[in-house]
Amino acid sequence: MTAGRIIRNGSLAVIVAVGAWLLWPTTAERRGDSRVAGGRTTPADVKFVIKFSPGQAYFPDSRPYGLGKPLKGLATVVRSFEALFPDTRVEILSTPGVREYLVTQLAGGQAPDIINVNVEDVWTDVHKGWYVPLDSFLEAPNPFVRKTGDPDLPGARQWWDMFRYQAISRGKAAPDGKVYNITFDMIETGIYYNKTVFRELGLDVPETWEQLLDACRKIQAAGRVPLVMHLGAYHDWLMDLIFDQLYYDLLPGIDLVQDPVREGYLQGYLDWDELAFLHSKGFFNRHDPRYVEIWRRMRELKQYTNRDLVSTDTIREFVTQRAAMIWHVSSLSYRLSGDRDLGFEWGVFYLPRFTKKTSRFASGEPMCVIGGAATQLEVTNRAVSDTASSLPITERMRRSERLKRVIALLQFMCLPQQNERIVCEYPGYVPNIVGVKGLEILEPFERILQRRYTTTKWVFTFDLRFSEIQQRMLILYLTDGIDLDGFLDWQERNLSAACANLKRRKALDTARLEAAWRARAAERATARGLPPTVAAEGGS
Amino acid sequence: MNYRARSTLTCYAAILPTVVLLLTFVYLPVVWAFSKSFYAFEIGGESRFVGLSNYAEYLLEDPTTWPSAINMVVLTLFAVTARLTFPLIVAKLIHSLPRERWRYVYRLVFLVPIVVPGVAVQLIWAGMIYSDSGLVNELLRWIGQADWVHGWLSEPQTALICVALVGFPFVGAFEVLIYYAGLSNIPQSVHEAAAIAGCTGLRKFLRIDVPLILSQLKLIVILTIIGSVQGFQSLIILTRGGPGFRTTVPGLWMYYNAFSFQRMGYACAIGVLLFLVILTLTALNLKYFKSSESVQGAA
Repeated sequence: MTAGRIIRNGSLAVIVAVGAWLLWPTTAERRGDSRVAGGRTTPADVKFVIKFSPGQAYFPDSRPYGLGKPLKGLATVVRSFEALFPDTRVEILSTPGVREYLVTQLAGGQAPDIINVNVEDVWTDVHKGWYVPLDSFLEAPNPFVRKTGDPDLPGARQWWDMFRYQAISRGKAAPDGKVYNITFDMIETGIYYNKTVFRELGLDVPETWEQLLDACRKIQAAGRVPLVMHLGAYHDWLMDLIFDQLYYDLLPGIDLVQDPVREGYLQGYLDWDELAFLHSKGFFNRHDPRYVEIWRRMRELKQYTNRDLVSTDTIREFVTQRAAMIWHVSSLSYRLSGDRDLGFEWGVFYLPRFTKKTSRFASGEPMCVIGGAATQLEVTNRAVSDTASSLPITERMRRSERLKRVIALLQFMCLPQQNERIVCEYPGYVPNIVGVKGLEILEPFERILQRRYTTTKWVFTFDLRFSEIQQRMLILYLTDGIDLDGFLDWQERNLSAACANLKRRKALDTARLEAAWRARAAERATARGLPPTVAAEGGS
Repeated sequence: MNYRARSTLTCYAAILPTVVLLLTFVYLPVVWAFSKSFYAFEIGGESRFVGLSNYAEYLLEDPTTWPSAINMVVLTLFAVTARLTFPLIVAKLIHSLPRERWRYVYRLVFLVPIVVPGVAVQLIWAGMIYSDSGLVNELLRWIGQADWVHGWLSEPQTALICVALVGFPFVGAFEVLIYYAGLSNIPQSVHEAAAIAGCTGLRKFLRIDVPLILSQLKLIVILTIIGSVQGFQSLIILTRGGPGFRTTVPGLWMYYNAFSFQRMGYACAIGVLLFLVILTLTALNLKYFKSSESVQGAA
């Protein structure tokens, strides 16, 4: 045998041996145990293994923004839960955030039992039985609270009562009226500003839109980018804020449905069916002056923001002081406070209100809340996988033992001491549980969250196609790729298609809306700037 | 059973698993997609027969159809032109090197990048070249031309051309090797005859070399057309088809409809139409683009 052949065969033998060694089961595996998150083993007699994908904010051992010690809060809470339920193990997973992944996993019943996804993104799928409606659990006592024996504690009567920001929490109900998510923390946006630059230029924190634009002009003249923000801030946040500013005065005449449960918390929220009905009456098109005004005001602000709305590293622009302001979310506070080399003072204010000088339709109200739920935990069909998939979801919920454990985990995480461990481990989000005090640095955002909730959430009201097209055409409009007329053309077609799709999914109760519309004719009769079709019928 | 029959059966048995897998994972989904293009259905949702409605909607009502088709044509023409020229020039230069050792080294140099995943290349272009703080903009700022700074992939005036330019200088290893193989196949006698006739340099390249590697050119044209009509991965990474629909191609819109909007039947209809486009272009190519064999035959 030649030396070359010996080397070749020897190499092959080594590769085979190493491969076999790697694949050889460990002692625990031979015993039938399986590996779970954190390197622990799961005894074979464990009855329930709950798969939990919490998202990145609290993922064990992660370091948000690369700062501080690795996070331990969520893992600690999970271990406490497992101690209470020895027959249950919780695997904390990191899953891709892409919708494609989720859809295919859910279709196969293989998604984690609990996932963290923007609940609006799941609304289009709720009728498929992929998600468990949580109303019946939320309306019942939280068993961990009830066990304390104190009937006055929040959660002793209804789990719902444990949530601090009721309007936002309940505002997450799907178009079918059911709640599919639990949210134990809040996120809010704010404009972070460079106090040092503001001082140098003699600027005060703006209190009106005009003052904001004036500050922007002065900052721009001083050679800095006044405000950096991503496209999403236009498409999602600014759209809703301006809409609220311009339509608030009209609400008495156009808020047609008073939800018996949610209205008390939401106060004037326009649901999808109201928007669709109002659209059919002639609102939200080129003939609706308020609607046109939204896009004009956006364009007005664009001239002072970063040119590239997609690839600009906005945080970098702000920390390097090329930009004087950044519109971002509460978690940026942690990044800025942890930066020892920042070299400037910073503060936070909220987008200032419109005045009559901004627009004749301005209500003069302060800008509303457009942030809200941060972690949004949905329970998937995997949680009822111990029941026959042919059964209706309500029956599966009733029979499933596994679901009881999954819900118990969510209820456990909502206990103040557990929630504090998770949410207050670092200053990223504001706790949404009564009795949990948020970290001091997030106080500006707590103040913002006290404001009235938004009139509607445009991006999340309609289907994903609507949002995709609106976002695409908005960037084109903001970057001079299309004029306002062209943009409105797209918007009209897009909104018509979205309304038609919604009506197809859930029959619109036209008779009830028509009756409400007629009943509010008097409120509309005195309003200015109505679309011609509405004005022609005298507001009725 | 005689040896020949046994041998034949063994061959068929050996190939059977492959055929079964091919039928299951390639042909069956194609047939399924074709049939589902006549339905309105979502993953996990209801399925309703709608006849040709999906096709009619895409061809007559969808506002993205014609802009995205134009983008596809532009990107395809650009890709075909680029892949027919730059790799061919490089292959010819390598082939012209006097020493085999250097020809080998250059072939290797051009081949090595083939191991870099396409996704990585796109990410490098999106993040390091075109981004706001990328190479191009930082260079412009450095030379004091901050006014020329652009959102190269996010502005409507520049997005499509920037997408097309990704991959510059377009010298793909695969194409270079194909052309190189074609050039190597040209008989030495042809080169000698050309030299005797005084046909050298660029004239020889255009009159002798190119006609004799038409089969390779034809292959690259077909593969590039198929790739361009089908492909949308790079667009997802670079622009997601934006701004607006300025870099959207039908394949990308098919993907969005299938997995984001869950309009599977509609997406299938777009897929079937793309299949027909590819089939037609390939057939035209095969019919009207001469091969080197036919050129040699005619000569």
